[in-house]
Amino acid sequence: MMTPVQQVVMAIIQITVLVSIILLIVPLMTFAERKVIGYIQVRLGATRQAGGIRGFAAGINKLSWAMGRIPILSFFRGLPVFAADGLKLLLKEDIVPDRADRFVFVIAPVICMIPAFATFAVICFYPGTLFTFPTTFPIIGGLPFTGFLTDINVGLLYIMAVGSIGVYGIVLGGWASNSKYPLLGGLRSAAQIISYEIPLSLSLLVAVVLSGTLNFRELSLYLAGVPMVTAAGEIVQMPLIAAIPLFFGFFFYITCGFAETNRVPFDLAEAETELVSGFHTEYSGMKFAWFMLAEYANMMAVSAIAAGFFLGGHYLLPFGLQRFVPDSIPFLAQPSLLFFFGKVFFLLFTFLWVRATLPRYRYDQLMSVGWKWLIPVTLVNLVIAATIRLIF
Amino acid sequence: MSILKKLLPLDIASGMKLTGKYFGRNFLQANRSKKHIHITVEYPETPISIAPRFRGRLQMLRDEQGEIKCVCCLACEKICPTQVITISKGKKEGRKTPFPTRYDFEMERCIFCEFCVESCGFDSIILNHQFELAAYNREDFSIGMEGQFQDMFRVSPVGQHSISSTKNPDSPDYT
Amino acid sequence: MNALFITIGQNLFFVFGLLACAGAAAMVLSKSAVHSVLSFLFSMIMVAACFLCLSAEFLGMAQLLIYAGGIVVLFLFVVMLVELTKYKEKSLFALQTKWSIPLILVAMATFAYTMKSNLFNAPASVALTLPPDLVQGLSVSAQNAQSVSRGLFAGFLLPLEILSVILLVSLVGALVLAKSERVA
Repeated sequence: MMTPVQQVVMAIIQITVLVSIILLIVPLMTFAERKVIGYIQVRLGATRQAGGIRGFAAGINKLSWAMGRIPILSFFRGLPVFAADGLKLLLKEDIVPDRADRFVFVIAPVICMIPAFATFAVICFYPGTLFTFPTTFPIIGGLPFTGFLTDINVGLLYIMAVGSIGVYGIVLGGWASNSKYPLLGGLRSAAQIISYEIPLSLSLLVAVVLSGTLNFRELSLYLAGVPMVTAAGEIVQMPLIAAIPLFFGFFFYITCGFAETNRVPFDLAEAETELVSGFHTEYSGMKFAWFMLAEYANMMAVSAIAAGFFLGGHYLLPFGLQRFVPDSIPFLAQPSLLFFFGKVFFLLFTFLWVRATLPRYRYDQLMSVGWKWLIPVTLVNLVIAATIRLIF
Repeated sequence: MSILKKLLPLDIASGMKLTGKYFGRNFLQANRSKKHIHITVEYPETPISIAPRFRGRLQMLRDEQGEIKCVCCLACEKICPTQVITISKGKKEGRKTPFPTRYDFEMERCIFCEFCVESCGFDSIILNHQFELAAYNREDFSIGMEGQFQDMFRVSPVGQHSISSTKNPDSPDYT
Repeated sequence: MNALFITIGQNLFFVFGLLACAGAAAMVLSKSAVHSVLSFLFSMIMVAACFLCLSAEFLGMAQLLIYAGGIVVLFLFVVMLVELTKYKEKSLFALQTKWSIPLILVAMATFAYTMKSNLFNAPASVALTLPPDLVQGLSVSAQNAQSVSRGLFAGFLLPLEILSVILLVSLVGALVLAKSERVA
């Protein structure tokens, strides 16, 4: 049993590691976004941070162009773009519009960012101990470093509750800018997020109904299809037929996740053809960067939840098909951090892939998709899941 | 059946398949294939192939002896719709035809219509392939036969990285 | 050091409670309506934190999800769209002052008595707990959500259903109001 001091120190270490991972992945995502969309559009993507034409790198580039090849440096020379992006946002002038509500204007990006990061508190990256600190460490010697921050028994509710607070940042940022386009963007975004929260919750309820728990770790273990020991001490395993509602639920969830994170094709809040850039039109500098951070962190959270619940979590096969992998196989039958992050990165890639493929929906189309199609089909899916739970 | 078609996102799937195919092809083959499968280039280092009839900046030509080909017939000055060409006629020792003492070209009003080149009976002027026409001062756009920044015989220094205009054998000012 | 952390952990409830009261006061006192809604949101989040301090995790999350995530958004929506400045001169809300002051005094006295008898005295002799046959196979401290749901759907099913009828009535009433306005 850990003493309170050990608990606090351990929590601080875990939070630091987690936040550093998020803050590393988010700028890399912006770089990946340029590259992936570039490749899809038969371009090279970002290849430089400034137009350097002399020097070593340029010499290598000229040489490989002369040899009729695309220079290998083109893959990496764009990498400093993400550092340059951050530096630019830090050094830019911070403008507060005239007659804007200064307090709300400043606090809106913070309200947007805190829930986006707080979601990761209950996400379980690995269902056990990653490593144990050596006993030579001063306070935390001999303590396990777990793959999850907290293991509360209402994890899913926590995710939905915290995620529903993030919308305030967008609405208040739009309102406080004292400008037409941001206000319209904020209102659109609020209506969109509130509408899509219903099918989102309904598609997540499939997982809850099947497993009968709200704990993220237990949910992901149960839905992976491996035998699991509950808190009451009995061994349960998901029936194979439950893979059907889980499979459809994944697609419904990921659709609603696109809408919740305001990504293409549901980025009505920042539709640049109509609303300049929506709710963050008046924002500049670090405040704008916080909105971007929140958006990408939300994407990561949605990917992690989809990977944990529907794609088998820490195991290899998705939709509860892990039972077909015999235990004798050394690596593939065990839970691994690698599988989880592989799924998360694939889903993050899907966000970019869809962005490069689909055009933006019209607003009435967005609402009709949400209310007339997604809510009925998620309800039907939920009924199927409940029937399976009742019978098997 | 129609409701099933509406429920299944087949169109989205086919679109995703197409973009996924392009991504895979470019991601895996971009560095290996001999021919360039992408449509953009890394501009300053890379030659850009410009269409042969691309209309760049006006440039005067010299013949094999290094003499100016222009004979001051004023055809280009007369046909120019925006009247950006001004020529002063003069004489030079050992030359039968008239010799231009001044040939002024104001690029900021030029519309690059190529009427001057077509009207020229002696093939003494062309529109070259230079597309980097920026300058820092307004005076630099008034180009004469002699000039500090640029003159009528050479490409402007801004275009020194434009490999197309200096290194491309198809280009008229190929050195 | 350990003792300090334990003391802090035991007294966090009072910190969050005071912050919730401060948020409520700011909601009443702030001039701008949007600031009021923001303070209300803050107050709601602090109440959820209070629930968490009492290790009622399910209630805390439900508080966040329903009040902070649902109801306050609608408040904000309405407040942003309605221009409240035109009511400033009419002193619309001043009419209720003479009625509200005695009501507030009565309410304060009631709350003070309840808090005195519960918080600073011996706890109530009969706590509101689940019947023992319902708790079978559940560790109430670890499985918060399960015990709440057993209480709602097995122990107190009838009150729950009656509550849902109230919600239905309000829903139908809202529909009727909206409809009649459009016809007229």
